[in-house]
Amino acid sequence: MSAWTLCVDFGTAYSKAAAAPRNAWSRFDPASVRPLMIGGVQETGNAFLLESAVFVDDDRILFGRAAMARAEEAGRKRMALRSFKTLLSVSDLDRALNTSAPASVDPHRIFQMRDLIVLYLAYLLSAVDAAAAYDPMVRDATSIERRYAAPAWRSGDSAGMHQSIVRLFGEAETLRHAVGDQILEPEGISIQAVSDLLPKAMAEPAPYEMGLIFEATAAAAYTSIGLPDSGAHLIVVDMGAGTTDIAALARSGARLSELPEARVTLKQAGDFIDSVIANIVLANSRWAKTQAQQTELWRAVQRHMRDIKEAVFEEGRATLRHEGKVISVQMRDIERDRDFKEFMKGLASAYQFGLEVLRDDVMARGRTEIQAIAVGGGAAAPFIRELIKKTKARGNTRVTARPATPDWAHAREFRGNLAPVFPQLAISIGGALAPEQMLAAQGGINPRADAQT
Amino acid sequence: MPAVKAKPGRPKKSAAPKRAAPRASLADALGQAAWAEADSALAEALALCDEAISGATDVDQAALLDLLSQSLARAARKRGFTRLGALGAKEAFDRKRHDFTNPPKRTPKTVRIVARGVARAGETLVKTRVGPVRRTGKK
Ligand SMILES: Nc1ncnc2c1ncn2[C@@H]1O[C@H](COP(=O)(O)OP(=O)(O)OP(=O)(O)O)[C@@H](O)[C@H]1O
Ligand SMILES: [Mg+2]
Repeated sequence: MSAWTLCVDFGTAYSKAAAAPRNAWSRFDPASVRPLMIGGVQETGNAFLLESAVFVDDDRILFGRAAMARAEEAGRKRMALRSFKTLLSVSDLDRALNTSAPASVDPHRIFQMRDLIVLYLAYLLSAVDAAAAYDPMVRDATSIERRYAAPAWRSGDSAGMHQSIVRLFGEAETLRHAVGDQILEPEGISIQAVSDLLPKAMAEPAPYEMGLIFEATAAAAYTSIGLPDSGAHLIVVDMGAGTTDIAALARSGARLSELPEARVTLKQAGDFIDSVIANIVLANSRWAKTQAQQTELWRAVQRHMRDIKEAVFEEGRATLRHEGKVISVQMRDIERDRDFKEFMKGLASAYQFGLEVLRDDVMARGRTEIQAIAVGGGAAAPFIRELIKKTKARGNTRVTARPATPDWAHAREFRGNLAPVFPQLAISIGGALAPEQMLAAQGGINPRADAQT
Repeated sequence: MPAVKAKPGRPKKSAAPKRAAPRASLADALGQAAWAEADSALAEALALCDEAISGATDVDQAALLDLLSQSLARAARKRGFTRLGALGAKEAFDRKRHDFTNPPKRTPKTVRIVARGVARAGETLVKTRVGPVRRTGKK
């Protein structure tokens, strides 16, 4: 069993990667699902998550967690570039890539967005390689087929977009070999080295082959694997950091097709909830009067945000201690927020609309069931769980909520450790498990061969 | 030194790339990743516990308890623990799932949950603790 498939999911907040044997779809064995420890190249944090971030410092480029940490120190005027995915999913990709990075990201004003993306991809590919070499099963692979997950593109020209993106990967591949392992060190690489090596990498991208799988398809793939009746109709809600995506899919055999009219992307997701929470904390802390106190408090909240959010989602409230004061945030406070209410309305109507579209298809095919799944870091949110539990039937179709973490992820061999991170890893895992027929595009670039012809 | 944090991958200069990495199973690797996060939550819980016991702190007892339970819940979540039952809920008594906090002379048919049970990977680590329905005073 040495032919493997590896899928990367570069989300707004975190990149993830997983591998599975190439024949996993027809012969599924949970033990052979390998989420990769791409975050393991860093000293702290969850080993399966790698912060999607690049920070342009005075004379160095930092990546991942180090980039986030440095951006936090650097204050509000400076930012790490995080939203590669948003950039890659705009309809005019080439133009977006050729835009200069904003001054808050690149104070030197020397990089285009494209440069920073290639740099991040070089880091990601190195981290993936290191993690694959560490995995006792994946490192013995004789061949690895690579894939990446991306949101479905509105423009419809997936094949064209795919070509552009694979080229970025090809350039990143050249760059990372030129830079070497230094790219994985917390101190990153020097801007000087980048100025020398990046233009060369762009001129000579390595040949690169990849498959593209849409995120929703990947989510559907992991949900229906190992199920005897692989739910023919699915609605997927993916709340990540940057976006909440709703997609409807119909499956027949190993083919999954999306019903494009049902797709909705909302701009509110984890990052948005973060800002709602931070505002509530500030409003609840009237003692923080001066600008300096407020800034300090804001920072403290951001630093502990993930824990605060988890506690609020799981227990209904979170308590935070700052400078001798105890501040609490309740789920109820969030529910009262005006922007949050708007988000809930948008979410409910998008979901409802998706269901309607699905129902027509369900009835047309003489089926009766729709399966609902939530993925992404937001799958744990009570309002997302409520949403997909609304199983109201219409006619004779019924909606069944599937757990965010499938039964097989609770298998004893994982000793309870895969389940808590599963929703975040779901897309990379599904992308690695999915059969070839589920890919949205395939192929690659081979500049050398092209040049010869 | 927290020995539980095995970090993979970072090619140390001394390590030849092909050197066999520890034969870690995925379960171990996942466990280590989870522990890394649970560690800090547990450490925090210990410190809070001291504060609560010593009483020599400005923060009031109730707030400390909140913070303490939050840290413990966080550590537990990172380790994939799940809670069994809902606080205050009434359930039909089931010897296999329930433990009495104070065993009554006659076993009642219905009990009230006093403390949620704890499970992990389908295995119950602590049974749900229950008491008689009447005793809580709320019917
Ligand atoms: N258990 C949890 N409870 C609450 N929030 C969580 C939990 N786990 C992750 N998150 C939040 O989920 C978000 C990250 O989720 P995810 O990794 O799915 O996003 P992403 O894929 O990077 O983003 P996107 O899909 O929007 O590009 C963050 O906002 C994080 O704080
Ligand atoms: Mg995502």
